Amino acid sequence: MKILEIKNLTVKLDNKVILEDINLEVEKGEIVAIVGPNGGGKTTLLKTILGFIKTYKGDIKILGLPPKKAVKTGRIGYLPQKNNVPKKFPVSVLDVVMFGLINSKLSKKEKIKKAIEYLDYVGMKEFKNRPFSDLSGGQQQRVSIARVLVAEPEIIFLDEPSTGIDVVAQESFYEFLKRLRDEKNITIIMVTHDVGVVAKYVDKVAGLNRYLHFYGNPKEFFKKDILQKLYGADIELIVHSEECVACEHFRFKIEDKKC
Amino acid sequence: MLDIITIPFMQNAILGGILLAILLSVLSLFINIKNWSFINVGISHATFGGLALGVYLGISPIFLGLIFAVLVGLFIGYISKKGNIHEDVSIGILFSISMALGVIFLTLTPNYTSDLFTFLFGNILTITKEDIYMLVIFSLFTFVYLYVFFQKILFCCYNEEVAYTSGIHTSFYYYSLITVIAIATVLAVKLVGVILASAMIILPAATTSQIFWHYRKIIIFSIILSIFIVFIGIFVSYQYNLPSGATIVFIYGLIFFITIFLKNIIKVVYHGSS
Repeated sequence: MKILEIKNLTVKLDNKVILEDINLEVEKGEIVAIVGPNGGGKTTLLKTILGFIKTYKGDIKILGLPPKKAVKTGRIGYLPQKNNVPKKFPVSVLDVVMFGLINSKLSKKEKIKKAIEYLDYVGMKEFKNRPFSDLSGGQQQRVSIARVLVAEPEIIFLDEPSTGIDVVAQESFYEFLKRLRDEKNITIIMVTHDVGVVAKYVDKVAGLNRYLHFYGNPKEFFKKDILQKLYGADIELIVHSEECVACEHFRFKIEDKKC
Repeated sequence: MLDIITIPFMQNAILGGILLAILLSVLSLFINIKNWSFINVGISHATFGGLALGVYLGISPIFLGLIFAVLVGLFIGYISKKGNIHEDVSIGILFSISMALGVIFLTLTPNYTSDLFTFLFGNILTITKEDIYMLVIFSLFTFVYLYVFFQKILFCCYNEEVAYTSGIHTSFYYYSLITVIAIATVLAVKLVGVILASAMIILPAATTSQIFWHYRKIIIFSIILSIFIVFIGIFVSYQYNLPSGATIVFIYGLIFFITIFLKNIIKVVYHGSS
């Protein structure tokens, strides 16, 4: 079942073409990474899909609906790139997760229980009564993820989700996203700089730099000509594999942490 | 000293002052979260143009002042949302145009005698029974509005884009909150003047948020603080024959600075840095 369909999309900002002739389809339960150089239009694409930016040409359908109608269903989760929250915003960590249940018909007691469950899921349960603004960037990000997940959306959009999270935590974060998809069949679309992640955790890669240079299997993505076309330079990527010493080290640390 | 409670106009001043303290303290939270203190100053000054137009046309000045304030509030909100001009610039332009229009309308008004400037600089001691009824009705409306929509408004203040993608009609909450603040500002300006109205809507949450971090405590203690200051201000001004509005504003300011000073002293004592 197609959960996102983009046809012939062109986006202009201040009369400058940012995205041109984008065609993309995402099936339910897929994890898709949108990658590309800075200024290539990754965040613009995400914001256009969500209806923040008007299309110049083309058509977008999420959950079979145009963006502005789709967001009203409450079946979409969004984690922006920066936690654009006013400084010293006067809410607790639990309050932030409770925002995710704003449209829920559950009783207040049930909402609190569910919010705490999801805080536990992201490892932030013990922080529930702390001021949200006192947390570090990475901790705020995890709480925000709990806020997205608690609403049990069908499709989640993440803009640079590993920002502010250390390398060890990033590894477990992407494992966590994969587990989320496996357990709840949630579709995940993320914009990321972390190309290394792509091979291990996602089903499809969208290589974006004004045009969609590549859309498909991650293994195909790492071909030299595709990377050259996308990044406009000779680059070499180190892909973490099962034999990767660094990955082994991180895996050990994560497992150690679990103990 | 307590004999002033038996004086009818003092009763009105105290009751009106308490009602305003409650209404503006609750709204104070949002003014502080959204950094809208300058919007409030813009709206209160823009009221002057409407009041003067009302006098010139012979239509209820407070009614036109209200319309002016709401329109200016919505326009400032629209500009800041669309981001074409920085909102401080748009506020500066709108409030100076509105003040200028006010002066022009008053100059054009034949045989103008009443002192419109009292609207701007108000007097808490002149609050009437009708003013109190109006205040009660609007306060009730505001509290019902906030009771029903509080979490959604707070969510929009937290992050408008995230709230929007959660299915919240963010524009409705944004503009309705500005409208409620604009109306509260006009009522406050009419009853106590621009200076006291600004102090009563900016300083309560600005002060209590120095001590408390959660919105519930900020609202509760802002109300308690404001009621206390209005009481003390009226009593002190009566006792020492001082202007009541200015005395209340001064106490608000004094408590704000004492709070910041004490907070820093405590920080240095307990954490060893300022």
